[in-house]
Amino acid sequence: MTHTVKIENRDNSLYEVDAKRSLLESLREQGVDLPYGCKYGGCITCAAKLTSGKVDQRRQVALNNRQLNEGYIILCVARPKTDISLKIGVESHDKLYRNPFLDPLKPHELKADIATSKGEN
Amino acid sequence: MDKSCCGPGYASPTEAIKAPRENLLYTIAIYTGTGIQKPDYLATVDVDPNSPNYSKVIHRLEMPGIGDELHHMGWNACSSCHDDANMARKYLLLPGVRSNNIHIVDTATNPSAPKLHKIISGADIKSKTNLSGPHTVHCLGSEIIVSMLGDAKGEAPGGYLHLNKDFEIVGRWENSMGSIPFSYDFWYQPRHNIMVSSEWAAPNTFMPGFDLEEVGHLKYGRQLHFWDFEKREPIETFYLGEDGLVPLEVKFHHNPDSSHGFCGAALSANVIHWWKDDQGKWNWEKIIDVENEPHPDWPIPIPGVMSAILVSMDDKYLYLNNWLHGDMRQYDISDPHKPVLTGQVWMGGLLGKAPEVNGVKMAGGPQMFQLSLDGKRLYVTTSLFSTWDNQFYPEIRENGGVMVMIDCDPENGGMSINSDFIVNFGNEPNGPSRCHEARYPGGDCTSDIWL
Ligand code: FES
Repeated sequence: MTHTVKIENRDNSLYEVDAKRSLLESLREQGVDLPYGCKYGGCITCAAKLTSGKVDQRRQVALNNRQLNEGYIILCVARPKTDISLKIGVESHDKLYRNPFLDPLKPHELKADIATSKGEN
Repeated sequence: MDKSCCGPGYASPTEAIKAPRENLLYTIAIYTGTGIQKPDYLATVDVDPNSPNYSKVIHRLEMPGIGDELHHMGWNACSSCHDDANMARKYLLLPGVRSNNIHIVDTATNPSAPKLHKIISGADIKSKTNLSGPHTVHCLGSEIIVSMLGDAKGEAPGGYLHLNKDFEIVGRWENSMGSIPFSYDFWYQPRHNIMVSSEWAAPNTFMPGFDLEEVGHLKYGRQLHFWDFEKREPIETFYLGEDGLVPLEVKFHHNPDSSHGFCGAALSANVIHWWKDDQGKWNWEKIIDVENEPHPDWPIPIPGVMSAILVSMDDKYLYLNNWLHGDMRQYDISDPHKPVLTGQVWMGGLLGKAPEVNGVKMAGGPQMFQLSLDGKRLYVTTSLFSTWDNQFYPEIRENGGVMVMIDCDPENGGMSINSDFIVNFGNEPNGPSRCHEARYPGGDCTSDIWL
């Protein structure tokens, strides 16, 4: 099965990708120049912003809940569940990096393994 | 022993200090995390003041792929092989923290234009040792060990990769990690049969960036570990607590008989000192404490973030950085229990004390540094780690990293920024890159260990 990926900041270009393979792999194979590092979901280098659609990225361990809420996905492990739209590369990283002293995380915004559920502290 | 027969390095620290002045140095420069889709590279910088190319990058050796995040480096051999005429300081090891690849670079055939000799693939390291996140490289005799900060999935505590002199994977170096939760830097002092290791965090924690809250959740380290070096297992742990949050760089005195060593706790911005007493017991104390500084717009005061320390070859001075404050400091540690501040300069940082150095706008603060063997020239770079740079100094994307030279006075103490030297990595041909650790072909103050 395949889904269509639209890359908004590359002239809305369209790609057909396999639902069972990582977006990083499928898109790079089709010539999209994407950053990456660890390729297992741990280092954030390949992060992109999902603007519509759904992905399965259960294997990622790089993003905290705030980044997830901002729509970030980890392309090296994410697989599309529907047709999706993306913004890629560092142009999409405006909300990915945050000065931790200027803008601390709330307890529910931490990474999943240490976050409290919203409302409790 | 016939001195003319000898292997790499120097017979003693005193001999090392007398070595000829460095003419070139190597620093890694990264594009990983910068938005520029180019490989990281090893830059050769001309540091010979009589050369027309003084203070310029004269060669760039690109890695074969993107996304390595080159970081620290290490030699295949150092003064620990001085008695072995079959060894030579010929290869520089360049680990990629993110890719797990270790690049072996031949710097001897043509020192100004090093070339790639071999790659130990990250996948191979994972499958043979279940390790990832290579960091510190030390040679020990003709063997090499590399601290690895995570397992193959990027979880702590990692362990130690053991390579032979042909750069083949021997396996895990350590016999046991004991109850060590994290890995980072290490240094060994063979005459005391001791190795000391520090704690950063799991790759999956530090690679995506720094969340301050994770320190409170014990995702970052606060302990030092003492190892029986021959048995290759930890024997004692010092819990440093709030005084030792995120203990990073570990240095022993260069004098192989000394038991004194130091660690910079990055987030506490403290220097921890340890030594062995007459009863053979190891002790520790905090000897330097850099106070957090208030920031007009921030709810939380800024810690120094002391990401590196260095001990001069004569063991007289300790240098440290405060990456977020923006200062480099020199302490006289003739009495290691009572350091005396003897020099301080500002370059970059968030306190706005030195936004420009020698006409170049600084993005970042003093971060990694390498001291000449004679103790007179300290080369300092500004980038810490791509994701952390992006959080604290986002303008480094456009400006790139910078290498500054600080003149140091090894007789009377004191430091000042050299006005003739600056390498602006913002002007690199492929766009702004970020320089990090530096090494000299003839050995330096962070490599050599004497048996
Ligand atoms: S490449 Fe490291 S998280 Fe995707």
